[in-house]
Amino acid sequence: MSNYPTYLLDRAKITDAHTLAVAQKHGAYEALRKVLKEGISYAEVIRVVKDSGLRGRGGAGFSTGMKWSFMPDPVTDPRPRYLAINADESEPGTCKDRVLMEQDPHGFLEGCLLSAYAIRAKVIYIYVRGEYRAPYNRVLAAIAQARAAGLIGKKILGSDFDCEVWMHKGAGAYICGEETGLMESLEGKRGHPRPKPPFPAAFGLWGQPTTVNNVETVFNAPFIVLRGAEWFKSMGTKTSTGNLLVGVSGHVNRPGVYELPFGVSCREILEDVCGGVWKQRKLKGFLPGGSSTGVLTAAFIDTPMEHDAIKQTGSMLGTAAMIVMDETACMVRAHEIIARFYEHESCGQCSQCREGTQWLHQIFHRIEHGKGRMEDIDMLVTLSRGMAPAKTICALSDAAAIPTLAAVQHFRGEFEDHVKQACCPFLPAGTKRPVFAGAH
Amino acid sequence: MTKIIINGREVEADPKEPLIHACHQNGANVPMYCYHPGLSPVGSCRICQVEVKQGNGPARVVVACRTPVVEGMVVDTEAPKAHETRRECLEFLLKNHPLDCPICDKAGECDLQDYAFAEGQGEGRSNEPRRKLDKRKSLGDVIVLDEERCILCSRCVRFTEEITKKPQLAVVDLGSRSTISTFMDRPLQGNYQGNLADVCPVGALTLKAFRFQARVWNLKKSLSTCGECSRGCAITVEVLRRKDVKRFRPRYEPKVNNWWMCDTGRFSSERHNATERLVPAARRGSQGLEIASVERALKQAAEFLSGAVACIGSPFMTIEEAQSFAKLCSQLGAKPAFVSPAPSGLKDDLLNTGDPCPNRRGLLELGFEALSPAASRARIAAAPAALLAGERVLELCERAQLAAIRGPRIATFDTHALEGDACDVAVGIPEQVEKSGHWVNIDGHVGKLTVARAAPAGVQALTRSLDELRALLTSSGVASR
Repeated sequence: MSNYPTYLLDRAKITDAHTLAVAQKHGAYEALRKVLKEGISYAEVIRVVKDSGLRGRGGAGFSTGMKWSFMPDPVTDPRPRYLAINADESEPGTCKDRVLMEQDPHGFLEGCLLSAYAIRAKVIYIYVRGEYRAPYNRVLAAIAQARAAGLIGKKILGSDFDCEVWMHKGAGAYICGEETGLMESLEGKRGHPRPKPPFPAAFGLWGQPTTVNNVETVFNAPFIVLRGAEWFKSMGTKTSTGNLLVGVSGHVNRPGVYELPFGVSCREILEDVCGGVWKQRKLKGFLPGGSSTGVLTAAFIDTPMEHDAIKQTGSMLGTAAMIVMDETACMVRAHEIIARFYEHESCGQCSQCREGTQWLHQIFHRIEHGKGRMEDIDMLVTLSRGMAPAKTICALSDAAAIPTLAAVQHFRGEFEDHVKQACCPFLPAGTKRPVFAGAH
Repeated sequence: MTKIIINGREVEADPKEPLIHACHQNGANVPMYCYHPGLSPVGSCRICQVEVKQGNGPARVVVACRTPVVEGMVVDTEAPKAHETRRECLEFLLKNHPLDCPICDKAGECDLQDYAFAEGQGEGRSNEPRRKLDKRKSLGDVIVLDEERCILCSRCVRFTEEITKKPQLAVVDLGSRSTISTFMDRPLQGNYQGNLADVCPVGALTLKAFRFQARVWNLKKSLSTCGECSRGCAITVEVLRRKDVKRFRPRYEPKVNNWWMCDTGRFSSERHNATERLVPAARRGSQGLEIASVERALKQAAEFLSGAVACIGSPFMTIEEAQSFAKLCSQLGAKPAFVSPAPSGLKDDLLNTGDPCPNRRGLLELGFEALSPAASRARIAAAPAALLAGERVLELCERAQLAAIRGPRIATFDTHALEGDACDVAVGIPEQVEKSGHWVNIDGHVGKLTVARAAPAGVQALTRSLDELRALLTSSGVASR
């Protein structure tokens, strides 16, 4: 395994890095200090981040500097503006933000403050997934410490920069991780995504200009400001710069969250970083970036973990949450579970998504339980095409349709076997699949 | 105004309204479920897909209800891609829809049915069990909800939020388990619940009063105006088999009521199904009120209507009737007046004015005097003879107290005449739904009445009866003054 430069998890590995004293000893708030003491303008911060090529780490991979520059000029538009941090990490397979919030909450807060400085927001809302009690408590304690040290509040570090940070706990809905659903939820409403346009930069929280950033995205900002765009671009590939957190789960020997530069091949992640497929078994397939990215066969294992290369395979990088499945895994079963998740989490606004996610789950369930018909396999494809791309208000419908299309494309034979044998061929004879009850 | 091209034709579009509005204004047929011109667009049903091209950009299929109008955009509502996307969307909408059209009150005027008929695939591909939910959930006295039919367009939710401004409905639960509900299943409140059945694009919210009453294609619809208050909401009167008035429904009239009407007005249709009517006329003989021909009754009335006659009209008189009445008053030397009952107490800040006189403004402009029921009776009691004309005039003068008046000889022109009524001559007249004419509402808007149902055979129009009476008076020597 090659040695790559790291920066994201350096401080997180230090004991008690969640306390202000230890964090500051290891460089926390240095970038903020530099910006405020040297009077670096917000435009300069945006320019550096834009130059660095930092792309959002929440799944879509949009240029962060570009997103910040969409915020209206405060001179012509004096409305209050907000920064909302998306810490609702709910994608099955994804668990990277949790590490940052739990182990290095001050690094995260510094990222929040710098991002707020760049978009000239005076209020930050951190929307945390409801189940994330430990990260919530850690960040809450960090906010108290930082406030006591004059790092949050009025006149931060003696400068003219005022900024407040508030935390909000979600109530368990995946859809509240969609940026407009998150804003609705923050406003106290049901987490129903809003149709776009208008975009959050023009009409966000309470109708005011708002930027929504992922935890890992803002976590990168202080390092870029401190070390420069060139340093950042020295890591990763040309179009995907810097390091990212790869969360590996499933049938591997050493699952976990790893910091790696963009462009490392999936094989290297699987074999070198995670110690290979468990129990000496062979790889069957993997989801490169969480449950909403299409499954890839073992033949794609040499694909570099990077936005463009993964896109060429027909899948998506997403949040780089690699889910590995060995040769004993049943792809129909796996996708039945994924479909069930999306049925459960669809907000129910759009017809295609509300009915389609349920329909897909019903068909997967029937095929897996031996009641499938050959025409069901094509129906999975036509239904998914009716749900995506971009046919609904938000991307949840796409997230349910994309893995379905990929599963049928790459593992059609397995689906046909299920139908022909009228049962799941991966099930030992005489056993029955457990039937789920209740929530996912 | 913004210039855009819809289906190859350059049209002017209002930039404040979404694209679907411009499409509908210009005759393009774009289906809609969640969009309602009177409610904020949410873009959730996804059926209103159209193809849009802006500048040199590629053609995109978008929902017309959430797309702003931009100068120079080229819209194709009939693009194959748009139709394809709508068809897919329709299939999803029908996935859990029970398709119980044969027993659904909405069948025949259902947006889902119409569009599935026009564009649907004809055959469903789903063999999954359909969603089982509450088929008859009462939401109060007016509305019953069929959860299975609901396509979750949320029009009803937005109606209570945006129009009555008393939010009572919500979508509860998530995804495919979503249903519409009131808070803690409490009954709906307010005087505008009936509109929920109108805004519902399918048969999920139906009127209890109209449940299983008629197939809508058997209803003959006529334009009319509501008479329950001085707002005069534009309505359609829907009559089954030329006989029963089954429904009053609001009709779009931007100057008066937009798309809405209150429940008081909506359910006043019931009043027009009374079985006992005065047909064609009656006069008091030795056996009490005896049926007579109109000619005979008018002749008798002409005999005693002279001297200082008290002339009291009804606030339900149309402008045309009021003009005939005023001419008759002038011939009798009386000042025209109408009985104006006390406010109904139903006044709200949406439509209902609380004034039960639909044509008050029209009558006042014709020089009529408004008299309270008590003042009307006093005027009658003080006169040797009285003429009472117009729909419900006896009822509004308070029938029982009117009957107690002894002395004057009274001729009435009303839809009903009871044995105990204080009348010597009674002439039957058509009801509100049986006549044509005009009312002037509180803001001066002229509302039109058309004949939705023929008056009973033999009953002639009030204007004709009044004019004939005036002719009789002229020939018997009562000079026109």
